[in-house]
Amino acid sequence: MSTVSASPAAPAATAEPASAFARLRIGRIAANLALLLIVALWTFPTAGLLISSVRDADQLALSGWWTSLTTSEATGAAALGTAADQTDEDGQYVISGDILADGTSFTVSAVGITSREPGAFGVGEPVEMRDGGILTVDETGAYRWTSATPFAHERGPRVYYVASEPPRFTFDNYVSVLTANGIGQSFINSLTVAIPATVVPILIAAFAAYALAWMSFPGRGILVAIIVGLLVVPLQMSLIPILRIYNGIALTFGGEAKGYLGVWLAHTAFGLPLAIFLLRNYMVGLPREIMESARMDGATHFQIFVTMVLPLSFPALASFAIFQFLWVWNDLLVALIFLGSQDTELVLTGRLVNLLGTRGNNWELLTAGAFVSMIVPLIVFFSLQRYFVRGLLAGSVKGG
Amino acid sequence: MHKTLLAGVSTLALAMTATAGFAQDIVRGEGDFSWDSLDAFEAEYGDLGGQLTFWTPWRDDPGDASQWRAVVSFFEEATGVSTQLGSSPNYEEQARIDIAAGSPANITILPQPGLLAEFAAQGALTDLGDDATAWINENYAAGESWSALGQFEGQDGNVAQYAFPFKQEVKSLIWYSPVNFDEMGYEVPETMEGLFALQDQIKADGGTPWCVGLESGGATGWPATDWIEDLMLRTQTPEDYDAWVSNELKFNDPKVVEAIEIFGSIVKDDANVAGGTAAVATTAFGDSPLGLFTIPPQCYMHKQASFIASFFPDGSEAGSDYDFFYMPPYESEADLGRPVLGSGTLISITRDSDAARAFIEYLKTPIAHEIWMAQPNSSFLTAHTGANVDVYSSDALRQQGEILLEATTFRFDGSDMMPGAIGAGSFWTGMVDFVNGLSAQQAADQIQASWDNL
Amino acid sequence: MIGQVLNAILAVVVALVAAGAYFWGSNWLLDKFLRSDAGVSPGASVRNDRLRTSIRPWLFLAPALLFLSLYLVYPVFETVRLSLMNNNSTRFIGLSNYLWAINDANFRQSLLNNFLWLLIVPALSTAFGLVIAVLADRLWWGNIAKSLVFMPMAISFVGASVIWRFVYAYRGPDQAQIGVLNALATGMGFAPQNWLTNIPWNSFLLMVILIWIQTGFAMVILSAALRGIPEETLEAARIDGANEVQIFFTIMIPQITSTLIVVWTTITITVLKVFDIVFAMTGGQFQTEVLANLMYSWMFRSGDFGRGSTIAVVILIAVMPIMIWNIRNANREQGTR
Repeated sequence: MSTVSASPAAPAATAEPASAFARLRIGRIAANLALLLIVALWTFPTAGLLISSVRDADQLALSGWWTSLTTSEATGAAALGTAADQTDEDGQYVISGDILADGTSFTVSAVGITSREPGAFGVGEPVEMRDGGILTVDETGAYRWTSATPFAHERGPRVYYVASEPPRFTFDNYVSVLTANGIGQSFINSLTVAIPATVVPILIAAFAAYALAWMSFPGRGILVAIIVGLLVVPLQMSLIPILRIYNGIALTFGGEAKGYLGVWLAHTAFGLPLAIFLLRNYMVGLPREIMESARMDGATHFQIFVTMVLPLSFPALASFAIFQFLWVWNDLLVALIFLGSQDTELVLTGRLVNLLGTRGNNWELLTAGAFVSMIVPLIVFFSLQRYFVRGLLAGSVKGG
Repeated sequence: MHKTLLAGVSTLALAMTATAGFAQDIVRGEGDFSWDSLDAFEAEYGDLGGQLTFWTPWRDDPGDASQWRAVVSFFEEATGVSTQLGSSPNYEEQARIDIAAGSPANITILPQPGLLAEFAAQGALTDLGDDATAWINENYAAGESWSALGQFEGQDGNVAQYAFPFKQEVKSLIWYSPVNFDEMGYEVPETMEGLFALQDQIKADGGTPWCVGLESGGATGWPATDWIEDLMLRTQTPEDYDAWVSNELKFNDPKVVEAIEIFGSIVKDDANVAGGTAAVATTAFGDSPLGLFTIPPQCYMHKQASFIASFFPDGSEAGSDYDFFYMPPYESEADLGRPVLGSGTLISITRDSDAARAFIEYLKTPIAHEIWMAQPNSSFLTAHTGANVDVYSSDALRQQGEILLEATTFRFDGSDMMPGAIGAGSFWTGMVDFVNGLSAQQAADQIQASWDNL
Repeated sequence: MIGQVLNAILAVVVALVAAGAYFWGSNWLLDKFLRSDAGVSPGASVRNDRLRTSIRPWLFLAPALLFLSLYLVYPVFETVRLSLMNNNSTRFIGLSNYLWAINDANFRQSLLNNFLWLLIVPALSTAFGLVIAVLADRLWWGNIAKSLVFMPMAISFVGASVIWRFVYAYRGPDQAQIGVLNALATGMGFAPQNWLTNIPWNSFLLMVILIWIQTGFAMVILSAALRGIPEETLEAARIDGANEVQIFFTIMIPQITSTLIVVWTTITITVLKVFDIVFAMTGGQFQTEVLANLMYSWMFRSGDFGRGSTIAVVILIAVMPIMIWNIRNANREQGTR
């Protein structure tokens, strides 16, 4: 009994280099390579998202994200100056300017006068214009359009060019997401929903899981099976019956049917089956010897639960907390139905989806939005990760 | 090989702050607006007060959500009613859930008459009264076709005016790039025959005529339904169209199969569509028009409703970078006139209150329409003849508004009026299957079978 | 705005205190009123002992059961009831909806697809999760690797669908490919494929997405279980001359069997409910329909509560074998008395 009195949740194993598997000695190189391959496969799609999120919206639909890292061939068009821009140079009429906009770092490699053949002429090659005169364009995009007769056109004709474009990135997508109306409010709303909806089910589930794991009573097996079965209840089926109950309560006792309390309770209930299932499985695996000796010492179930099972189950509690938090944080449906989707009530996912636009234009904003919304779950993951390590003491007692 | 018609791209952030300011640009009493109608409205409902909740399909901010807010804000100011606006990506499903559970908003706005008809049959909508019908008939161009859109059978089996049409959109538009047309010497066709001649001309010149994209997530296939509807209106009488929508004319009737085949003659030829037929079903509908803007152009024409302009590259300019023309009628079917396919949203009261009734009255004032007409970057059109077309924020909108007002036949998007399982189900999937290989007859049979199975 | 978060934290505190008071208080009351110490007669003591033992589990279970019955069990009964009614639940129509389902080609397609999903996704996710957990625990950069593999779990489904749109995107052969998979295909000299309409491969490509997400789940749970294996056990096996592969299969796997079952069960159930991926990627078209998505479209898009509920009931029935298996497991693993 006294062996488990030390804090079992202490991350002793991470500090202990000789952890169980360090001694499994397959070829270290093979292991490294295998893991590297898997991780690369798993990360590749997300990397695509990350790179896409700093790309220009119009480019997303036109070229692969991997090409954005290299210098690429780009085609473009620009309008030349009008007759009003011409100058008279020794009897020659000249319009000059730059076909590239300020601040671009393109290198022009070819030009053309039809969209069909944007690179029909080389750089520096004289191009005969349909409006008359000769056009030359150099690599920097500077052009000279000369003619022996005065220009008279009012609308500048279009020229096309092929240019090499160095990698170009923009944080516009992030700026748009972070400055969107109400994003701060939504962030707070999401936190307001997620914190209680993560903590409350854990506590309730832990007690239930302990009863199902370590107390003997008739119907226990059936109860476990029912809880497993409830895992599969499609959430959508519950929405209307529950909302009806909420509306009934609001009608009878006054108050609003939609609100945070309703969301917390709903998330708690929807998270319970998985929580009970995971925690029960974990608690069943706790060493029987500890329980028995504690019982022998006269400890009650309540005492055993609070002083031993709860601390020993910390890794399982932490992992469930992560999953519940993720699920609540990324949920859209439950929040929309039970909290409402009026402007002030929108959660972060709802806000991001709205950024998408009614018809899904602006979906490039979602690439940035996905990363913004990932920040909090990742912080939660990293801060809870160290608790995954079960206390060594628990294991050693079982093993001994 | 791509990119940058417009190198001087304004950042999205800048665009946002700019549009955020526009709602306030309309100052009461200034400009060509019908302020007197607001004054008259205020005189009657000025001391109403209370609360009003809305459920709408409009979520773009900046965009239709902020534009709608501008419309509502003048109502708030005039009546003292405080309002709450709501929407979500699954707004239809959520409206259904809220109505089934008994907690709908005061006012529910939906673009699907079919869905509203269901709600009306369940007794979820409030009868707006015969005055509303009379008002729409009198004040909307082609008024009776508009009032009919909002008339459904109620729970008691009687037909009544349950919804008020507000905000219209024209679908019979073909988008193109005037610069590309000029360079190749193409002319805007005046007839369907001319359109097909142009299509062949483009192919002969080595180009690709069309960009078509049907992908839209769970709604994949819907852009094809617009094609079929527009072709139906150009090959069959409006009465046949109505019969088709109500399934009195079977989906696998030769008349319908013919329309599907015309669509097939366009998209099922690899040379006609950018990327070939295989790309049609999986190109996102919003990405597909971008082919108009590439250099060299991936295609020359794109059929889509007026909203599509918001998908065009940032900074592209109407009139030079892009423009649209009315999808013409067949010369050989001259007696069908100039049919126009459109869509729009319908406003219904799902939880009755004085404020909700007053809001319907507000929608009858020209000013409620004009405020949205004047919003920049909107796709708001109105059939309200009392609204001043001068306040439209762009020429393009004004032209579309004129197409709407001049239509000899106006018909609402048929798929939106069919039962949900068809119009938002088997019609979509049937079209996708058609593009991917089924014959027109097979696809039509498949859709009709699902209708029989309802 | 900050006040709102403080309210949330207050709610947590209130909930914790209330739950603590409930569990502690009810246990205290139980011990007080059903005493079995010197103060009561031996007969009463034995009786009280027995009573306490049979009541206490229900005290522990009560809050959970309350939540479950209201939010999940009651809707299940409601669903069964609705499945016997017509589309707007006004008329009893017996088993007509079930007959409809059996004869509906779409439904049968979904059933078949769901079966494939069940076969493939849980097995592969668990296997990958296990391999990653084992490998990562041995390497210095294991935690980084685990975090990267975990990342897909942190991405919402909306985000995930955008990611995979970039992977599977298709452009015509004469255009630049923007999808990774097609870029690879064309790079190797093949014609670009329209992956999402490519029957039957499209279903498998959708499964890849769920495997990609769920592997992180399997990894986290299995990793915790692996660390729970006593070092001495492995040491003993090593002294007996077992090699690493033998240790993996004969020592490690048996030690974490129950966790493997839990992970597999959980992912299986996730698969039965898979909805978002299909909804966002294909909308159930091109023969990729699955039951949950079919239910959703009948229920909310077509507004046919009867048929939607019928499909939901089918999903519930599909989980029966897993439930029975779990009953047997639960009865086998006895805790203390």
